[in-house]
Amino acid sequence: MGFVVTQGPELETEHYNFNALNIPADHPARDMQDTFWTTETPRRVPRTQTSPMQVRYMEEQMKKGIEPPYRIIVPGKVFRNEATDATHEAQFYQNEGLAIGKGVTLAHLKGTLDRFFREYLGEESRVRFRPSYFPFVEPGVEVDVWFEPEGKEGRWLEVMGAGMVHPTVIKNAGLDPEVYQGFAFGGGIERLIMVKHGVPDIRLFHAGDIRFVHGFQESEV
Amino acid sequence: MKISRTWLQQYFKDPLPSVEAIADALTFHAFEIEEVEGEILDVKVLPDRAAYALSHRGIAREIAAVLNLELLKDPLREPLPVWTPAEELVLTGDPEGKVLRTMGALVRGVAVKPSPAWLTEALESLGQRSINNIVDATNYVTLSMGQPLHAFDAKKIAWHDGKLHITVRGARPGEEITVLSGETYKLPEGALVIAEAKEGTALDIAGIKGGAASAITSDTTDLFVSVANFDGPSIRRTAQALNLFTDASVRFQNKISPELAAYGMRDILALITDIAAGEVIGVNDCYLAASESVPVTASIKKINSVLGTKYTSEEIREAFDRLGLSYTEQGDEFTVTPPFERRDLMIAEDLAEEVGRIRGYDGIEGEDLPPLERPLSQERYYGIERIKDFFRAEGYTELSTQSFAAEGDIMLANPLDKSKPALRRSLAANMEDALQRALFVAPRVLGPVGNVQLFEIGSVFTKDAEYLSLAVGYRSTAGKTKPEHLDALVQRLEEELGVSLSFNRIDPGIAECVLPESELVKLGAIAPVHVALGAYRSFSIYPFALRDVAVWTPEGTEESEVTNAILKEAGDYLVRVDLFDRFEKEGRVSYAFRLVFESMERTLADTDLDPAMERITNELNSREGWEVR
Repeated sequence: MGFVVTQGPELETEHYNFNALNIPADHPARDMQDTFWTTETPRRVPRTQTSPMQVRYMEEQMKKGIEPPYRIIVPGKVFRNEATDATHEAQFYQNEGLAIGKGVTLAHLKGTLDRFFREYLGEESRVRFRPSYFPFVEPGVEVDVWFEPEGKEGRWLEVMGAGMVHPTVIKNAGLDPEVYQGFAFGGGIERLIMVKHGVPDIRLFHAGDIRFVHGFQESEV
Repeated sequence: MKISRTWLQQYFKDPLPSVEAIADALTFHAFEIEEVEGEILDVKVLPDRAAYALSHRGIAREIAAVLNLELLKDPLREPLPVWTPAEELVLTGDPEGKVLRTMGALVRGVAVKPSPAWLTEALESLGQRSINNIVDATNYVTLSMGQPLHAFDAKKIAWHDGKLHITVRGARPGEEITVLSGETYKLPEGALVIAEAKEGTALDIAGIKGGAASAITSDTTDLFVSVANFDGPSIRRTAQALNLFTDASVRFQNKISPELAAYGMRDILALITDIAAGEVIGVNDCYLAASESVPVTASIKKINSVLGTKYTSEEIREAFDRLGLSYTEQGDEFTVTPPFERRDLMIAEDLAEEVGRIRGYDGIEGEDLPPLERPLSQERYYGIERIKDFFRAEGYTELSTQSFAAEGDIMLANPLDKSKPALRRSLAANMEDALQRALFVAPRVLGPVGNVQLFEIGSVFTKDAEYLSLAVGYRSTAGKTKPEHLDALVQRLEEELGVSLSFNRIDPGIAECVLPESELVKLGAIAPVHVALGAYRSFSIYPFALRDVAVWTPEGTEESEVTNAILKEAGDYLVRVDLFDRFEKEGRVSYAFRLVFESMERTLADTDLDPAMERITNELNSREGWEVR
């Protein structure tokens, strides 16, 4: 589909993690994620999401004189200041996707995710959207995917947040939102692996334990 | 917010569908439903729609739009009464512009008593406690239409010159106030208080919680009813500083419209005079500047280009009509003038969302992106993956560890784990720890190997910058870890991949280096290997146990024959069999196996293992020419 992998800093400025993503200070949307802060001045933030790379990537490309289309996948570690248990971890990986161009629509988002999940989880997979809100997209949706594990009943899984990149974010990255538009999505990676491969506890992923790593069978393809 | 189906019904002429059907309709067209219990829906209202939807009226409006039902009444579309100010009330706002509107009413001669049954039941159905008819009335109106409001006992506030002087002011340094629930709060800088203006006594924490001193009690007869609108960010800052988020503060921080205050005043005065009698003396209103809705324009083309749909003007019109939005059309363009409570409608994309969700996102057909004319670059990522491929081929196991550490250059202001308040500046400490643990479980996981070999690629943080770091770890399972092993490995890495890395040797078995961007990009000219993960098998949290068995067998006996004989008698706890020695002597073959036993449920004891070993020994000895050594 033309997406390439790019990665960014784990320790972010308040600008890229929040402000450039249309989340101003004192906005209730700041409460949607529990955030760690550093003691530095100005303070920085172990990024709460991989979305800062949306603006960073677009800025970098424009600096190099490369105009859209852009299609990137950003896997990376993110941090949330919340209590941990079998399904919550203060450090986990998110996968961000961004497609910017002329005439990129919500239908393209659906087509892209449909195809990804058919390949990742199985042919019977399909996605559905529910209305939601993230400050850096408009419209914003929650993405559910239909998953049929072998020998078990199918069910809908909540897998990511997504939407059409907010024109303010496109503008913050130095592009003209009248010309370019696009979609973005972001969701936890561990949760998908847990569901697909049968991992019982998210805390296993980053525990530095060889028993976990060798718990998977792997093969070169 | 908890929403009652019974409560909602009063907004509709026709009976509402079941609570499950309402939940479904909201889920796919408006809001996530966190829980359904009996007649109660817990609706997750996100900040964008909180200005209108943290109320039964707001949810009713949404249900009407989604299910195409007719609203029997919409209190926000009904006219407001014209009030006369009370001469005995002197109401002033604050000069800094943080009080967008303050309204006050004097009500005389009320009878405070228990609420009527319908009111008690309504509040209790949402898990709220009934207090008395006045307090309940204020809570009921807020939950109905979304405006926070508060009633004070007017006689518990000092009067001067026969008048009640009320103002809103910033909290004084160190000022304290005891709130209705009994706690005393020290007010932070920037907090607002509603205060008696002449003496300055604080009456409540504005926009957050009422004060205890002027609480409504059974002997209250005269009320000062306050309905106001405060600057959202400053309410949020105060609530955060006090860690006191209330039904009121959440609504203010989400910037409900100042217009709403008048509707709240109308409804609370109507309800109080209905259930507690009393006479409204007058209503005063300090309104900084009436806020006007800004029209939003979107063309049909724009709406369809956001959604990827082919909606006609008729279909778009229907979505707006169902939402009760007023609009004009000019050519291809719709111009919507949002009702005052809809503070989320600001740009064309917002209108596209309304059309998309009301018509339903299931109506959007997925579409493939067009192919790209030129590929985008991802050399850096490829470079990282190729380094991982090298280590994998060398038999190294990749790890991922935590970024928070006991020591580092960058400290967290709010660590979750107080023993790890820093961001790691090196991967070495985690590597050391992982090696120790790996040595311990190596016989179970890796078998009778001579060493454990690990690596991690991860971010480290120093005063100057964030770096991508590579740590390599090696430990011999028997005896001393010699530095030559890693020396040779690093040499192979540099030769095979053609990179130059400056490793820092932490100890004979741990080396770490920064992976420079330029080297990664260079490496990334070649694509990495693709690896597919198979199913995951959980490990036991209980310790494993080891037993060795060695057996003489006749010449020509295959290893698998011995393994099968062992497996036949070993029982369910045997999880691993590894050959660790084989030699031939005088026409016989000796095999030595290490057996690993483990239970998923408990620690195994000798009483579990001895019988298994005895069965295995007997089985092996029973064969012609076999002899356990």
